Order: sequence, then C-alpha cells, then structure tokens
Amino acid sequence: MEQWARREDRRLLTGRGQFVADMAVQNCLDAVFVRSGIAHGVVRDVDCAAAREVPGVVGVWSAADLSGLPACAHAAARLQDLPPVPHTLLAKLSTAEAVAGREWPALAKDRVRYAGEAVAVVVGEDRYRAEDGAAEVAVRIDPLPAVVTPSAAAGDSVLLFDGLSNTAFRGEAGTPIEETVWQEAAVVVEARYRQQLLMPTPMECRTILAVPEQDGRLTVWSGHQMPHRLRRELAALLGMPLDRIRVVVPDTGGAFGSKSAAFPEFVTVVYLAVMLGRPVRWIEDRLESMTAATRGRGQDQRVRLAADADGHLLAYELQIDADVGAYPHLGVGLPMQTAWMATGPYATPRVHASVRSVLTNTMVTYPYRGAGRPEATIALERSMDLLARRLGLDPAELRRRNFIPAEDFPYQTPTGRCYDSGNYAAALDLALETIGYDTWRAEQTRRRHDPRALPLGIGLSCYVERSGGEPGGLHDFAGIEAHEDGTIIARCGAASSGQSHETTFPALVAATLGVDESRVQLIEGDTDAQPEGLGSFASRSAQVDGAALHHASALLIDLARERAADLWGTPVEEVEWSDGSVHHVRDGSAAMDVAELVKATGPLSVDDRFESGMGFPFGAHVAVAEVDPELGTVRVLRLVVVDDCGVVLNPAIVRGQAFGSAVQGIGQALYEGIPYGDDGVPLLAGGLLDYLLPTATEVPPIEVKETRTPSPSTPLGAKGAGESGCIGTPAAIVNAVADALQIADPGLLQMPLTPDVVWRAARAAKYEGAR
Amino acid sequence: MKPAAFDYVAPRTVDEALNALGDTRRDVRVLAGGQSLILEMHLQRIRPDLVVDINRVAGLDRLSVNDGTVEIGALVRHGVFESPQAVPGPLGRLFALAAVNIAHPPIRARGTMVGSLAWAHPASEWCAIALALDAVIEVRSTGGAREIAARDYFRGPFQTARARDELITSLRFPLPAEDTGVGFIEHRRTHFCFAQVAVAAALTVHDGLISDVRIGLVNCADRPIRAHAAEQVLIGREVIVPAVGDRLPGGHPFARAGRIAADQDAAPLAEPYADPEYRRQVIAVLVGRTLRQAAEGVLQ
Repeated sequence: MEQWARREDRRLLTGRGQFVADMAVQNCLDAVFVRSGIAHGVVRDVDCAAAREVPGVVGVWSAADLSGLPACAHAAARLQDLPPVPHTLLAKLSTAEAVAGREWPALAKDRVRYAGEAVAVVVGEDRYRAEDGAAEVAVRIDPLPAVVTPSAAAGDSVLLFDGLSNTAFRGEAGTPIEETVWQEAAVVVEARYRQQLLMPTPMECRTILAVPEQDGRLTVWSGHQMPHRLRRELAALLGMPLDRIRVVVPDTGGAFGSKSAAFPEFVTVVYLAVMLGRPVRWIEDRLESMTAATRGRGQDQRVRLAADADGHLLAYELQIDADVGAYPHLGVGLPMQTAWMATGPYATPRVHASVRSVLTNTMVTYPYRGAGRPEATIALERSMDLLARRLGLDPAELRRRNFIPAEDFPYQTPTGRCYDSGNYAAALDLALETIGYDTWRAEQTRRRHDPRALPLGIGLSCYVERSGGEPGGLHDFAGIEAHEDGTIIARCGAASSGQSHETTFPALVAATLGVDESRVQLIEGDTDAQPEGLGSFASRSAQVDGAALHHASALLIDLARERAADLWGTPVEEVEWSDGSVHHVRDGSAAMDVAELVKATGPLSVDDRFESGMGFPFGAHVAVAEVDPELGTVRVLRLVVVDDCGVVLNPAIVRGQAFGSAVQGIGQALYEGIPYGDDGVPLLAGGLLDYLLPTATEVPPIEVKETRTPSPSTPLGAKGAGESGCIGTPAAIVNAVADALQIADPGLLQMPLTPDVVWRAARAAKYEGAR
Repeated sequence: MKPAAFDYVAPRTVDEALNALGDTRRDVRVLAGGQSLILEMHLQRIRPDLVVDINRVAGLDRLSVNDGTVEIGALVRHGVFESPQAVPGPLGRLFALAAVNIAHPPIRARGTMVGSLAWAHPASEWCAIALALDAVIEVRSTGGAREIAARDYFRGPFQTARARDELITSLRFPLPAEDTGVGFIEHRRTHFCFAQVAVAAALTVHDGLISDVRIGLVNCADRPIRAHAAEQVLIGREVIVPAVGDRLPGGHPFARAGRIAADQDAAPLAEPYADPEYRRQVIAVLVGRTLRQAAEGVLQ
C-alpha cells in the first residue's frame, strides 16, 4: 500500500491533478494579450487588421473596438462596452476616494501606465495561433516620462492621471509623537529602509476559463483564492444575476495572496466568452506573470526609535511611502497593514505610523504572503539591532527588556490592534537555545580575532502577525451532511491553492464527530456547492473555516440527537453521541450509527455561518550567516524559526508552511528584486534567470520549532499559519549580515542583499567599537 | 511563450544536415540539446524558418582520444563531463570542475559542449575553456570542411566565425601535460543563473617555476577572454601557495595576476546587480583563487 503524507498527494504527485490548463472543453478558444512595452505613454494607435488575417485567429480587439458599442440583447447578460476592472473594499485594501476619477480599463484605452499593461486581446483556436496573431498587432505608443519609485512619483512632476495627484491615499495609526520625546530620550536611532517590490511567483500563474452553458449560465474555472468574490464581481460587471454564474476552483498551484481579485485579463476573458458564446480561456505564462501579475511589498520607510539609557523603548515612529503601482484599485490601503502592526511585540508606550500611498508606473501592488507585516517587522527589527548596538546591549537582551509581558494579554497596541495572546520571550528563548546562541557568539568573537576567518553574524527577528482577516471578513460558511452510505460531506467557504485542506479539514471533522477519517470528504471552492464563502487568504483557513467546520459538526451532533430522540420517543437529554453513533443513555441497547439514523429518519445536514476573532501569531527567527567580504557573498549557515500559531491542527503541514515561507523570506533578503531601466521597464528579459528565486541549492539548514499559546478569541485556539517565514526571516538574515560586517550606516544594506551590495557595505566604515 | 511556426527536419547523416543548412535564403537553426534555442524560440527572439534536428545524425555523439588530442562530437552532452574520467588527465579534471556549474542536471543531460560554442554566450563556461586551452573548432558545409582556432572564433556576444551554412561537427582539445594543475571557480547569485564571473585556469610547473599558464575568463567581456596580460606576469615565477584558509596577500603573484586580469584583460559590461567596478573586483579575486586551486593541483 502506497503511503501518502497528504490526501491530495496521490493525485498531485502522480500527475493526475486537474488544473485549469488541464481542462478539455469543446470549442474552447485561447486568449492572448498584446501588452505595452512602454511603462508610461499615450496610446496613438492599436492596429489589429493584420492580426485578424492570421490563420486560426478568431478575433482581435483593442479597447477602441470594445467601446461605444450598442447594448447587446444577450440572453443572460447586459453586455455593452468592455467593463473596467473593479476595486475592492475588502480589508480596506482600496477606497472609493482613491479610485474616483482613476478608472482601470481592462484594456488600456488612451494611456498606458505600466509596462505589460494589455492594449489588445487576441482569441485563437489555440495558444500558438493566438500568439501568432498577437505578433501581428501593431501598437504605437508615444512615451511619457515614467516614475517607478514613490520618491520619484510623490513630487507629482509626472502625473499618472491628469489633474490628480499621484498620492492616492494617506493614513495613520497611533498618535503623532511630540518632538520633546525624541529630544529627551537617552538614545534615538534613525534609519531608512527600502522594502523592494517582489513577485509572488506561484508555480502556476493565473488561469481562467469561462464557459457559457446551454442553459444560459456561465461557468468560470479559475485558480483562485476567493471564488464567491470572483462570482460577485463578475456578475456585477456583466449585469448577470449572481445565481447565473458558477465559479469553480480546481487544483491550484499556489497563490501567496496574488490570486484573489478580478484582474484586467479576467474581465476581458469573461466578457469575450459571453459575447462570443464560446468558451474562452487564458492561461498566463511565466513571462506574462513577470510583467503583469501583481507585486508585493514596495515601501520606502523612515524610522525613529527612542529608548532610555536602560534600553526601555520610549517611542517608535514609522513613515511609509508606499509604491502601490499604477492603479489604486487593489492595494492602495495595503500599507495600513504595516501601520497597524508597527508596534510589533514590544510594550512601546508611543507608536505612530503614517502612510502615503503613491501611484507609480509599475504593475499594481497587492497582498503577497505576509502582506504588510514583513514590512513592519523588518523596519522594527532592523532598528532594534541598531539600538542594541548603540546601547552596547546584546540584541536578545534588548528585546527581552521590551517584550509585552505574557500576563498583559489581551494587549491594546498604540496602533489600534488588540493582540489576543502571546508569550514572546518564550519563543525567543526557544530560538536562541535551539540555535546555540552563546556558542555562535563565542565563534563570532573567535573569528573577529582571526584575520583569516570570514566574518560571521547572528541576526534576530521577533514578529507579531495578524491572521484571519479584518473585522467584517472573519466569518465563513461551513456545512456538514451525513449520508446513508456512511459518508460525511463537509463543505466550507475556503479555497485551497495548496494548503492541504483536503487532509486537514476531514481529519478535524472526523475527530469532532468521532468517526474514521476516511468517511469524511471535503467539498470546497465551488459556488454551486457552497451558498456563500469568503475564501482562503490572511492565513484564515484553519482559524476561521476550521472553527466553522468544528462548529457545524457540533450542530450536526445536536441535530442527530434530536432525531434519535424523536425516533425513540425519549427526551433529547437522554440521547448521547459518541464515535459517530447515537445511543440511549440508560437503555443498554446498541448504538445507532449516524448512517443508520439517516436511513431511518431521512437526510441529516446542517449549514452554518461562523465568525472567529482575529488572531495574532508570533515568533522569533534567528539566522547565522558568514560573509565573504572579497566577493560580497552571504552564506546562511543556520536558520532557526520558532513560530507560535496557537493550537496546531496538523503539525506536519504547519511545519511545511513554516519552512516554505522561510525560504520565501530568504528570497526577499538575498535574491529577489525587480531592476528597472531608466525608461521604467523591468529588466527581466531572461525571466527567472533574471528574477532569482531561492532554489533547493540555496536553501540553508532550517530548523522549524514551535511554541503553543492558544488563542482565546478563536474556538479551536488556532491562529493562522503559513506567512511566518516571509514576516520573520528577512530581518533575521539582514541583521546577521549587518552583525557580521559591523557597518555604521544601516542604509547600505538594502534588500536584496546581492553580492555587489554586500561587497560595498563590507568596504564601508564600521561602527564605533567594532573590532 | 510559444514559438512562431517553423519547418523541421531530422536528418540521419551529416550530409543531409549540411544540405538542409545550405539554404541560406532562410533562417535555418541547428537543434542539438536545445538548451538555448528552444528558450529563444519560445520567447520569439529567434523565429527560424527551419530547424535542423541533428540528434539522429550517426556518429556525432563520439568522444575520442587520439595522439594527444580529445575530439568531442556535436552531440556529446554536458553531463558526460561531470566525470573527471570522461577525458584523461588534467583536462578531464578541468571539465569536471566546470561542468557542474552548467545549469541543472536535466539540462546537462540535453545540452552539448559543441552547442555552447555554437551559441557563444559570453557567460559560457566551455567557450572560455576552449579559448584558454587552444581548442580547434571543426566546421563543415556542403562546400567542404575547415578548422577554426578558438582564438579566431569568437567575434562578440553570440557572434562567431562560423558561417550560416556551416555545422560544427566536433571540437578538438590538445591534452595538457600530465603535471598541469587546473582550477575552475564560478561566481553567481544562485545556482540557477548565469555566472556573473567565472575563471578557468591551467598551470604547468617545471622545477618549481611556472612554465605555462592559461587563464580563461567567463562573462568578463562581450565574449570569452583569455587573460594574456595576467598570464605574462606569472611565467617563470615560483609557486608558493599560502596555507588553506589564508587569503592571498596583496603582493602574491596570483593576487597581482588577478588585479591585472581585472584591469587589463577584462572589459566587463554593466548588468543589474553587477556593475563593471564590482565585476572587476570579482575577476581579481576569482583569478587569484582559481590559480591557487590550480597550483594546489600541481603540488599534490
């Protein structure tokens, strides 16, 4: 008998997964987008005539071809012009004010605002023919100056939208700190940090397949995190009733936050499918994804951190200039996640964070694994190391002096969060013990006295994240159904893009009901199968959907007891449930399996909508790195990640998530970045040969451990897992390099720490007291 | 990322392949391992009219040694050279040191050494080795065969002395003296990407003095470079290698050779994450370290 670690592995590891690109649909057309090679410019002409003559090409449209159309008397939809891309109010990611006057066309009309923006769409009998057609579309764009950083764009010397400032959003968390606080503090450190733009880079890029059905309904297949949201947004765009659209999420090859919206390509593909009355699909390829998929991070930060002479924090100020890309529709408010989490794990009495979101000529910024918390953690944790150095304190000791004490929870932060539970010192202690902190410090000292030895540094990073979502988005649907054949069907509003729901959730339901795991099947990611649902984002699936399934299971037990009581004519209090069976408390007769109960009394099912609180997972990451100062190379010798996500439902899966996200955190620290030319076009002609991800060869020894502090605000005590490494790891690595080099100016070490950056830092002045 | 339409032939003999290549009115490309060609076609940076797949041509996969010369056929894959025994003596050791730097094992199982020379990417390991070790490139066309010395072969990035109708059938390397020490060190951001800089070195010592030295520079200019100026300062020098773990002192001949290679031989171009100043630094360091690796081979 083959052993599979996860239920989905048999399918996924033997090549039998069913991704959108695997779906065989009769008469299906492939869409290919013609994209701007210019970052900012005026669209003069998009000539599709030659492309329409290419064999196998079924249709080619520019924005102009899909504007000013007469209303189409379509059976199901109210189709007229190609609709624009919707904005999202979820988690305050965007606002009505920010998008006012700033339309995001699904195909650029008169202006392109980032390199890769689609200006035409070609539909062909297959992708090859559609690409042949795309090669024949002649596009004329007059370039305008491009601005690709917040600092370049904030001055408004180049406007993305005429008559409107590039600054599309301002926000703050906490109260501004008076100047006297800084003047009177014993120590104040200041620094600037750049959080570079990153690509989420899931294995499978974005996918969508829209199938108009015989009965006038529309089925949309998509690798997506939020199928109900996609249905809602598409229905609004097409003027279709909600129940006429079905969105299904088949196997999905990763998302990392980047697959939860209705993107320009999605709007266009679904519109064309309805207009043509034929299935149309778009399978994004890697190069497209690298130009036109959402980015993560993108902040220029200025910090001030004040402490008294004993190292007790007095005040922390974080100013963020965020690069939110060319359109404010998806992520203009995302930097608020950084502001709200600016406090971190410390009992700092005064914390103030301010945000200025600036439009730039880059693809739109959107949540990417960590989504705002890595930026908060890196700024604070790098500053903590600076402060420790200034005070002559061990960085671990400085952190211990400032942690919010374990007995102070729930803890209201100055930046508006209410932390549910935590034991930050325990996580740090475990991390230091695991890595052998004192031994590495001794080794560091030894090397500092040996001119032949490579410098070695130890970097700490303590973090707090937020999981589950924002208020208003903390609920989800769960349903449990018992069948005559003994099967238990569990449904929930989550949508896995690789987070092992098929393994974790049936086990949870089975344990709650006391039945064998093999009896429970999970159905999710289908708007026809779940009446409502929020989806999988913000590390919420275990915390929210797990709790919802747990609660629904308990409701099913109650219902079964009531049924049995009716059947047996006894009070319900005398019916007990155990091991998937009902039995009479006093009667010695045999228990009745729930399947028998269904046979005797009819279908047994419950639908439930359950709301969880917010969770605040935390942890401590420690990295040891050595630097070759002649070449600037960084070798991570060891990384220990200690995460606390409360009660863990499946330890192996949580560890896998911790490991994978730590590797992505290493990616931000050392490898990943988007270089831009002077014209604002990303220099990524070599694809993933130019945008470097850590691969198996680059993964250092990583040890994953956990502490367990249950959450009082979530029913299972579980908090979100899976984003920890992206949040905690980068600062640990950067701090280790800074510690190895002992540089005076922290601004020299900006991520990614590529060898050229580190070599230059290694040549720069060391701080006073360095040896 | 789909190629434009193209014609395809898979000849069985060299003559059939040469006939197909002879149609110079069309853009004809040779497919061996496809390591670069397939990618470029998918990116539509190359849109050939005809692809000539030589994988079924008999005899091109031969690797043979005669008369102090190694002859490597056009279908010998990179992976073959991962074993230092594939080719005798120091050359086999040098090839093995270099081969593991080429992409990943699946690509090494397809890509070929001759293909690398045909493509002539400035970051190609084999191109710099061929140049440094005076390899000879054998090309054939319907008009006949000719030999091109490696030093006359590279004309620029992806540009060579091979004519469009010519097929490289093999590559010949003279076997270095048995007591030659070899070194190869590559510097790159991850194992996956191209070298920012790599250095190949072969060092022959007679009576404790350097009698012959060859230094090949990878991705240090718009084409492979042999560091002649650096080699000059080493000829006749005594070989003293510092203990393991010691950095080379600035005055050490290897360090000086590195500095000269960086400042005089190399002409590095700017790339993201590697401006010329940084690349010169890496060249200087890597030349010194590679020479040291080669010298340690001699002294063993």
